[in-house]
Amino acid sequence: MTGRVSVLLLVSGFILLAQFEALRSCAEILVPAAHAGQSEPKQGRKPDRLPRRDRQTDVIVYPPAPTLAIPPSLTPTEPGAAPLPAPERIEADISTRTIAVTSAYAGAEILVFGTIENSRQPSAESGYYDVVVVVEGQPERVMVRRKSRIGGLWINTQSFVFSAAPSYYATASTRPIDDFTDKVLRDEIRIGFDAIGLVGSAERGRQKPMTAEEVMAYRSAVVRLKQDARLYQSSDYGVIFTGRSLFRAKIDLPANVPVGPLTTRVYLFQDGSLLSSYQSRVVLEREGIERWLYMFAFDHSYLYGLFTVLLAVLAGLAASAIFQRRTV
Amino acid sequence: MNVYLPIAEMSAHVLLFLGMGAAVGFISGLFGVGGGFLITPLLIFMGVPATVAVGTSTAQIVASSVSGAVAQYQRNNVDVKLGLVLLTGGFFGTVIGVQLVKILRELGQFDVFIALCYVLFLGVIGTLMLIESVQTIRRTRAGGAGSGRKSGEHSWVHGLPFKMRFQRSKLYISAVPPLMIGAFVGFLAAIMGVGGGFVMVPAMIYLLRVPTNVVVGTSLFQTVFVAAAATILHAGTLNSVDAILALLLMVGGVVGAQFGAAAGSQLKGEELRFLLAALVLLVCLRIGWDLVVTPTELYSLADSAGGTP
Repeated sequence: MTGRVSVLLLVSGFILLAQFEALRSCAEILVPAAHAGQSEPKQGRKPDRLPRRDRQTDVIVYPPAPTLAIPPSLTPTEPGAAPLPAPERIEADISTRTIAVTSAYAGAEILVFGTIENSRQPSAESGYYDVVVVVEGQPERVMVRRKSRIGGLWINTQSFVFSAAPSYYATASTRPIDDFTDKVLRDEIRIGFDAIGLVGSAERGRQKPMTAEEVMAYRSAVVRLKQDARLYQSSDYGVIFTGRSLFRAKIDLPANVPVGPLTTRVYLFQDGSLLSSYQSRVVLEREGIERWLYMFAFDHSYLYGLFTVLLAVLAGLAASAIFQRRTV
Repeated sequence: MNVYLPIAEMSAHVLLFLGMGAAVGFISGLFGVGGGFLITPLLIFMGVPATVAVGTSTAQIVASSVSGAVAQYQRNNVDVKLGLVLLTGGFFGTVIGVQLVKILRELGQFDVFIALCYVLFLGVIGTLMLIESVQTIRRTRAGGAGSGRKSGEHSWVHGLPFKMRFQRSKLYISAVPPLMIGAFVGFLAAIMGVGGGFVMVPAMIYLLRVPTNVVVGTSLFQTVFVAAAATILHAGTLNSVDAILALLLMVGGVVGAQFGAAAGSQLKGEELRFLLAALVLLVCLRIGWDLVVTPTELYSLADSAGGTP
């Protein structure tokens, strides 16, 4: 009997050890699996109120697009000129303006959709226009650390601080952005990973003076690590035309996107030149018990600690009470 | 069903954490240990920030040890006086430990530090337990009594001042060693998210010569309060306790522990210690491996948990 149990125990011990590996992959499998189910509107989340869309004309602002230059010859008001086609303008909206982060939150998917006014595109498939959708989070301070080997151990030795890096950055486009834009334009309107606004900080910390290459290595490390965490994403064929002028793009917001406002920008290109742009916002907000716990944990941190301890004591005592009743 | 963890700021399947809690609970019920030494590394491996893993693990330890402590107390297996002395030391150790975690987190060295702590403590404790249990098993097989402990044996511990009488343990010893042991265990609880039973129990048996029937009860008694103090201090100074994560681990853990305890009653003490030693050494090697092997990614983003309200 004893021998059998001890074998069983060793096995369970090994199984647990195996979990060190398995759990990591398990977490990766389970989390996306839940994401897949996210396209349906979630229960418990506020339904998107339709009146919002009716009010969109008040909400939508057309910012002066940086490089948007419509030749005067194209303005239709010019008298005497031949009836020239009116300039294209892009209008867009987002499926959800407020996303509630509740304790059942597993990320969300937003749909950015819109239309091109005065579209000259013969069909949805013609590829006459290119559209780029950018969803960007708030800039935040990011510290990157680099490991090196010291006495046989890998230890964080150097660090670099970016005073501002977007917490989240996703692009979707009709085709790879580099195929139809040049670097100058990408940098100017900040589209594509190379153009992400990462601002190096003057903070010294424990960092030695760094060469430009070293800073570039830190910069690409931020982009790479954020990409691994699905916080930086690009979808080269993510914008789909569903008609002559209608387009749509799905943007995936994983659960680890920090809460706060997200800026949505939509750009319309034709032959590599920017024709029109549009801007809007989505807000991620903590709600329900989630919000309550978070506020509690940060505003009354010691009381929150005490609350967690009481929760633990209750859980422990309740369990033993239940099991004692069963065994006695 | 997925759950979003407010402090760890991540989302994962409920069953993942419940299952983890149950597996660790089974092992902790089996060996009569808190299981923190498994919870903390497992959470870190799953991507929970190291400080959150430690802080949340302390909350789980409260849950897993409170029912045991109450049961032991009812059976009169707790030396309350000794427990209070240990606890006094434990509070100081916890306060110092949490401050150290805070400093190390700011320096960006907490991850490496916690890994080194785990390798060091698990390595030493595992090796000692392994040697001891193998010797006991050999001695038992060769015939004769299993316990090699002689009562009334004196050691350097008995030469220290501030002697106190601990009636339940039938001891008349200095208050200094229990205070020191308590402080050390409290320190470990705060930095590693462990109950410290793996230090406390051997220290009580071999250093203080506490009778075996009182050891577990008194250790549990001390663990509940030290872990509670560590949880409150972690939440208060580091915002590193995730109540939802803790709750999931607790529910899984307390259920698993019941089955573990039932299974453990069928094993002999030295066999249990041998298995536990093997498990401890495996965890130690696994953590040590990550420190030595060349990482695929040299860069990392700083743990921002608790830093951005």
